[in-house]
Amino acid sequence: MLAGRGGRKIRPPRRGLHGDEIDFENTWGIIASAFREIHTKNASKLSYEELYRHAYRIVLKKKGEDLYRRVRNFEHDWLSNEVRGTIHALLTPGLLANSQSIGGTTANERRFAGERFMKGLKQAWQDHQVCMSMLADVLMYMDRVYCADHRRPSIYSAAMVLFRDDILRSDPSDHSDMDVLSILNHVILEQIRMERDGDVIDKHLIKDCIYMLEGLYDSEIEAEEQRLYVTSFEEDFLASSREFYMAESELMLRESDAGAYCRHARRRIFEEQDRCRSTLSETTTLKIEKVVEDELIKNRIHELIEMESGVRYMIDNDLLEELSLIYELNARVDNKKAELTRAIQKRVVEMGTDVNSAAIVASQAAQPLSEGPDKGKAPVEKNLNQQTIAAIKWVEDVLQLKDKFDKIWKVSFDSDQPLQTALTRSFADFINASSFPRSSEYISLFIDENMKKGIKGKTENEIDLVLEKAIILLRYVQDKDLFERYYKKHLCRRLLMNKSISNDVEKQMISRMKIELGNNFTMKLEAMFKDMTISEELTAGYKTHIAQLGDPDPKRIELAINVLTSMTWPLETMGSSGDNEEGKMLKCVFPSAIERIKKGFEKFYGEKHSGRTLTWLAAMGSADIKAVFPKVPQKDGTLKERRHELNVSTYGMVILLLFNDLPADEFITFEEIQARTNIPESDLVRNLQSLAVASKTRILIKDPMSKDIKPSDRFSFNEGFQGKFHRIKVGVVTSGNKVESDRERKETERKNDGSRGFCIEAAIVRIMKQRKELSHQQLVAETLNQLAPQFKPEVNMIKKRIESLIEREYLERIENAPIDSYRYLA
Amino acid sequence: MADQQTEYVTLVSSDGFEFKVLRSAACLAGAIKRMLDPTSNFAEAVSNRCVFENINGVVLEKVCEYLYYNEKHKESKDVPDMDIPPELCLELLMAADYLDV
Repeated sequence: MLAGRGGRKIRPPRRGLHGDEIDFENTWGIIASAFREIHTKNASKLSYEELYRHAYRIVLKKKGEDLYRRVRNFEHDWLSNEVRGTIHALLTPGLLANSQSIGGTTANERRFAGERFMKGLKQAWQDHQVCMSMLADVLMYMDRVYCADHRRPSIYSAAMVLFRDDILRSDPSDHSDMDVLSILNHVILEQIRMERDGDVIDKHLIKDCIYMLEGLYDSEIEAEEQRLYVTSFEEDFLASSREFYMAESELMLRESDAGAYCRHARRRIFEEQDRCRSTLSETTTLKIEKVVEDELIKNRIHELIEMESGVRYMIDNDLLEELSLIYELNARVDNKKAELTRAIQKRVVEMGTDVNSAAIVASQAAQPLSEGPDKGKAPVEKNLNQQTIAAIKWVEDVLQLKDKFDKIWKVSFDSDQPLQTALTRSFADFINASSFPRSSEYISLFIDENMKKGIKGKTENEIDLVLEKAIILLRYVQDKDLFERYYKKHLCRRLLMNKSISNDVEKQMISRMKIELGNNFTMKLEAMFKDMTISEELTAGYKTHIAQLGDPDPKRIELAINVLTSMTWPLETMGSSGDNEEGKMLKCVFPSAIERIKKGFEKFYGEKHSGRTLTWLAAMGSADIKAVFPKVPQKDGTLKERRHELNVSTYGMVILLLFNDLPADEFITFEEIQARTNIPESDLVRNLQSLAVASKTRILIKDPMSKDIKPSDRFSFNEGFQGKFHRIKVGVVTSGNKVESDRERKETERKNDGSRGFCIEAAIVRIMKQRKELSHQQLVAETLNQLAPQFKPEVNMIKKRIESLIEREYLERIENAPIDSYRYLA
Repeated sequence: MADQQTEYVTLVSSDGFEFKVLRSAACLAGAIKRMLDPTSNFAEAVSNRCVFENINGVVLEKVCEYLYYNEKHKESKDVPDMDIPPELCLELLMAADYLDV
């Protein structure tokens, strides 16, 4: 319609544009010769327009198919005849030889040959690329019209395929079945190997070759994973690397220590990353890293950690840097760091067990001495002291161990959370090891020791530190109830005997425990403090009461008293270590003077709190006695009367008062003393030992003189007693807190088991009351769960408790239940 | 002059008309662009002069006009239509196909 509107005709296209009928062969001849020029780099003489026009015309004349085929053949011929020869010429015998067997040529020669080969190949490749891009430019019209219409790959990619087939896949010689490509792979691998061994190689050259491989595809489909690099080289590379590192790791494990190994492994990983960046392809980075990690770390980590110079050695020698290396390596291959964790845990338990057994050995070293009952007091004392020292040493060792691992954890392990959990578990493991039942006692002893002596002259911060340490250990202890028992006992001694240095610190400790273990735990401990305060008030009250009575007794005896609530104080453990198992407490017979005061106080107390019974625990008390010794000749010949103030235990006082009314030359037998005072035998023996045997406080003379007290011994007052000081303290053997003897421990454990029984029963009843019905397994699990903060009961014990509750009709078995189940009976 | 990338290039028609065209504008045409590609180093690239044996002056003028028209309106919208004389249509189309515009 255009024509109609404009009134003008559309001019038929001029024939010139079409070109006339052309002679295909002629035109192709022109193009082919031009291509040859291009290949020999003489393009500047050629007119692009002319060539383009020829190609255009051919395509326009529907001869695209022919042109395409001809170009391909042309390139094929060119590559086969011209280029291939040059490349094959570069394959020197040396290069070929080493692809079959190494020998004859030195590494250096091989390297140069390899480089020459790669250079040639690279040159050919680059030339090919340039030429083909020019050809493709000239044949643009063909690409655009013919190739697009007929779904042919562009001439450029077709030519690339030709290069692959005619050059890389060509067989260079008759006696080798390797094609150029595999030789190239081989050469590159060898170069990389040289670099790994420390040689310098031409990275850029290799990189160029790698580019070539990346630019070519294995098949017609140009997909990422079809690149020659991936299909032919990468695999070889990974495989040869694996081989290399496998051999290397083996060698390294044999020849160097773990620290060096770690350093080396880390360096290798960095090197490989670097190599991928500078020499190979980035896409390989992850894969090769994996190979190195597998070979150098994953497959070796176990051996590495177990090496003589492995983790154990590092821990022992505080090689923090190496440890952090190991950590890093292990973290690379294993998120959970299982191997390292295992090794660390093992070491912790080992070291902990060492500490445990050291403590046991230390505490038993002196044991044999005390086994013989006739050895007397000194060795026993020494033995007990040694045990205490062992206990404190144990605590300190454990703390040291803890410090050590904390430091390692912080510095070397990047404060890794799972590792900390593992450490904690290991510590708990060895502290609660069944082979070492004393941890609770030892920790309590440690606190006791610190309360009595350790914190003297320390600043608040230091004290804090000590308390913190104790709490840390306490956290690990499973049987908290046992600890409570011991702590109560030790605290009791400290309070009653005024051994504690600072009440504030005591209270601080308790409040810390409260935070850590909860209210229940410290309730009784707090009650003990309360008793002490009340007692002080009571004593003061009694004093004013006596003063008001206005009975000026010249022989008046002052009384300070502690009234203790029997439920909260571990009085039974204070007694004479279970001697009075018959159940009746032997009542000590007090001398009349004392008895009077006792009555007075009972009356006073009865008035204040009616209905309460006081039980007097003579074993706990102490007394100050003023004693007058008759004149005896002094060194300078004068006679002098001596006055001493004797601080003795209550029993000691009772014994001494017996001698008050006795003529100087008479004696009393052991049996007589026992009969008149009713003091338990073991207490009596101990008191007499300190009064009659210990050289510094020999107020009584024993006949016959010997170190041990026998029932037939006779005692008389030592008139010739000489003391250096006015005030003399007569110690009694058990005055300090010592590690328990085995018998005592059994006793404690028995009692502890008893109270555990109640706890378990209470827990079971609580659970059943809530759940009404529950299977046996569930009940046991819940009970364990509920009691976990206090202690870990044995399943057997729980079973027994359940039996007992059934007997007492708190529970009943559900008949015909598929699994063992119980029902709560309200 | 040989290796230099001049700002203008010369396009020559079959009947001898010469057009000096801004290089960037000329390179819009795929064929011209390749022709002048310095890396391939054809004669045209060396001389910065392209002779088109099969395009006459009238058509080439229109082609140049289009090249500039395109250069001018490259980034704008609502471009006014370019005036194309109907009698040139067919020849222009063929030239465009040839030059890959």
